[in-house]
Amino acid sequence: MTEPSVSEASGGATHKDVVCPYCGLGCDDVTLEVSGTAVEAKEGVCGRAAALFRRGAEPAPSARVNGREAPLDAAIAAAAELLSHARSPVYAGLGADVDGVRQIIKLAARTGGSVDHYASTGLFRNLATSQRRGWIATTLAEVRNHCDLFVVVGPDPSEQFHRLYERVTPKTGRFLAGPRKIVFLGGAPSEEARAQLEGSTIEIVAVPEGELVEALSRLQALVSGLVPPAGGVELAPLAEALKAAKYAVLAWNAGGLGADGDLVIERAVAVVETLNVETRAACLPLAGRDNLIGANQTFLWNVGFPLRTGFRGGIADHDQAAYAGASALKSADILVWVSAFRPERPPASDAQIIALAHPATEFEREPEVFIPVGQPGLDHAGLAFRTDVVVSVPLKRYRDAGLISVAEAVRRISEGRS
Amino acid sequence: MSALRIANGKVLDPANGEVGVERDVIVVDGKIADAGSAPASVETIDAKGGIVMAGGIDIHSHIAGGKSNIARLLMVEEQRAFREPQGPFCGCGGGLSTMTAHATGCRYAEMGYTAVFEPAVVAANARHMHTEMADIPFLDTGGYLVLGNDDFLLDLIASGAGQQAVNDYVAWQLNATKCMAIKIVNPGGINAFKFNARWMQLDEKNPHYEITPRTILQTLIRAVTELGLAHPIHLHGCNLGVPGNEQTTLDTIAAAEGMPLHMTHVQFHSYGTEGDRKFSSGAAKIAEAVNKNPNISIDVGQVMFGQTVTASADLMSQHRNRGIASPGRWIGMDIEMDAACGIVPFAYKDKSFVNALQWAIGLELFLLVEDPWRIFLTTDHPNGGPFTTYPHLIRLLMDRSFREEQFAKLAKSARKHSNLLEIKREYTLEEIAIVTRAAPAKILGLTDRGHLGAGAVGDVVVYREDADREAMFSRAAYVVKDGTVIVREGEIVDLVYGRTHQVTPDYDASIETKMDRWFDETIGYKAGTYKISDEEIRGGQGSVKHATVRAS
Repeated sequence: MTEPSVSEASGGATHKDVVCPYCGLGCDDVTLEVSGTAVEAKEGVCGRAAALFRRGAEPAPSARVNGREAPLDAAIAAAAELLSHARSPVYAGLGADVDGVRQIIKLAARTGGSVDHYASTGLFRNLATSQRRGWIATTLAEVRNHCDLFVVVGPDPSEQFHRLYERVTPKTGRFLAGPRKIVFLGGAPSEEARAQLEGSTIEIVAVPEGELVEALSRLQALVSGLVPPAGGVELAPLAEALKAAKYAVLAWNAGGLGADGDLVIERAVAVVETLNVETRAACLPLAGRDNLIGANQTFLWNVGFPLRTGFRGGIADHDQAAYAGASALKSADILVWVSAFRPERPPASDAQIIALAHPATEFEREPEVFIPVGQPGLDHAGLAFRTDVVVSVPLKRYRDAGLISVAEAVRRISEGRS
Repeated sequence: MSALRIANGKVLDPANGEVGVERDVIVVDGKIADAGSAPASVETIDAKGGIVMAGGIDIHSHIAGGKSNIARLLMVEEQRAFREPQGPFCGCGGGLSTMTAHATGCRYAEMGYTAVFEPAVVAANARHMHTEMADIPFLDTGGYLVLGNDDFLLDLIASGAGQQAVNDYVAWQLNATKCMAIKIVNPGGINAFKFNARWMQLDEKNPHYEITPRTILQTLIRAVTELGLAHPIHLHGCNLGVPGNEQTTLDTIAAAEGMPLHMTHVQFHSYGTEGDRKFSSGAAKIAEAVNKNPNISIDVGQVMFGQTVTASADLMSQHRNRGIASPGRWIGMDIEMDAACGIVPFAYKDKSFVNALQWAIGLELFLLVEDPWRIFLTTDHPNGGPFTTYPHLIRLLMDRSFREEQFAKLAKSARKHSNLLEIKREYTLEEIAIVTRAAPAKILGLTDRGHLGAGAVGDVVVYREDADREAMFSRAAYVVKDGTVIVREGEIVDLVYGRTHQVTPDYDASIETKMDRWFDETIGYKAGTYKISDEEIRGGQGSVKHATVRAS
């Protein structure tokens, strides 16, 4: 456990510079007050993270097997027993730190079955372009210092990435000559986003519902020096601004885009590609709650494929459609649901459920095995990746509520199987 | 006490002057011991008819990190084509030029390598790099930290903060990122690309900081010398892959002014502009300069034909190369006021004039550089080709008639432009042992590796003698890692993990406040979060911290 910076007479402790693991921005200026097992987040934290960090003083719930309280060992044994008969297990949720994902890979390789993260829709929209065509992307500190024109494509990402503008496009940047220009293309900033953007110039380019792909195609034509057909949204000023910018960034929250998100991203990437022939520009593709990016990275270096990978006979294969959690679950007999960062409910299905889950999870249907797990960055140390993929942040331990980590639980289930 | 006797083999240990000496090698508790010190009962490996060497050391191989993951993502067809089946000691990975962590350890170990160093740790990605390297079995690893494009350093130099401030910063970064050496990639050029410069010559000024690659190089050479790092600056120079860059390379050798400098993947920096296609071999000139300058060492970055993927921090160069991507996709990233990366898939073809000549240029360098202690066997994995091609490369170096057969297959236009046939040299087994073990250990300052003298780590390899040197070096008969037999008759038989090498030079503590401020204001998160703790390296176990002059 890290040394608290301030000890309080009450026996509680205040921890400063705590890393927040939830949305993927990796803020590390959170203050936590911990008293016994009770946790309250103070300065630095955004509203959503405050709710997710909060813990009461009550003891952690016991593990359960078929709805009855059971010792941890019995629950581990029950999970191992269920998995030893599994024909088609699905590992989903995957809200775990890197160590947890490493252990899940090892177990899935032995039991067979597919693995996906519950929030991977946006990631795969991004991969649809990056994997097939590629892109030029950038990281948070580059945007912060170089980016003079920040174009938000589609809905305001700060809905998911609460402190996005405060962190990534603050008022000043090392290489900025004047105020930063923020353009919302096909979306609009919330009041809170506007507050974070104070000091920057905000512009909104409205795009009618469903016409974002078309707008980006026109923008691409304009930055290429072509003349798009008349009509539609007036984009010539934006095209000129992009060409004149020193370092333009097109950013989007892939998970927040509509059904045509794949195409929106492809067109936005094409705009950046064209700009880079003469000037500098980059994409900031946002995705990444609950260590989604870390799970994907851990898969790539251990398995060679991204998430949505299936194991059969010890051989892995990747299929974005077939191994997506929702479609794989249709033919699953066992769902191993992992959610250590928040009390996310497993999706409805006919499968038996082994839940390695946040203690506060409220299930629609009682799982066959419930093992309450600790949260990386609160109950145990761990590692999570930021949304920009390059930076990963160390998560520390701040309390002892007697909760086992996902990695430890999976390792013990794995041993119980053999 | 655990002990192992490797009996009846011929010991090839150039660092200790042993060439084919018939003697037993004894490993006690993971270290090489004197012949007399073996306990009575000891596990014995019969190495009769075999050549016994120290474990192989790869000085430059891109085995981990963000750029490797991007390469895996881009090369999903390769991942499908090369799967590693699940087995008692095998993971579920795959790939060839994009090999996964477990497979990387296995394939290197089977060839007799026990230490492989990652030459491009971008500081912002160091934590990922170490986490991934910990999943590579069998191998000792370590990282070279990429500096020379980081805004903090360029600002220090540009503002005239002085050598001492630079030294403190370099030492701070080495401690924070747990690396063992300093790499420079296209000094100042990656940074300049962020300000839209497309080229960077040795004496050209960065558009923002107005300092030149020469200044950056000389400042960092001085820093590692004054900090007392064993490994000199590991340099990927300016103008990678550009015809005519031989002059840049010669100028860079001169710019070192006699100070130690390691120049990496020099094949990609040895191009002239002669001939009807304005592309020619500069190998003879470069080799001559290396021969004349004992402060210079090089690794080759040999090109091997076939599909691979090029992965580099040099986004300026990779953006230029994007048009030749094959398959036609590529990814670039600017990274954290620190560096960048560019990943471009590429297939080297023997019928391509340029690729065939690149192949010949690499071999010319190997054969024309006279001192085997200053040249190292690399393909710059995966940039020139995957490391699994090393046995083939060894055969090309050792077997002149084989080399000439391969040469005959090249594009005719390239054959006309190469003098390779005029070079009669064949590497001896001793020279192979030098360029793959003894010399890398020496240039990295790993005094207890790369040789079989008493006290060295118990990394020992037995190769069966075979006139076909490619077959001989493809699968070792036995590989011993820290005293444990990990390969027997070419098969993995155990699973062990290596150590992470790092240096921890001392620095003036007053830099901490400067770094805190830099991270708070510029980078946007805390320096305290950025710094990697000892516990994060292999769970706090298995670091090797090497001494430096300015030690804490």
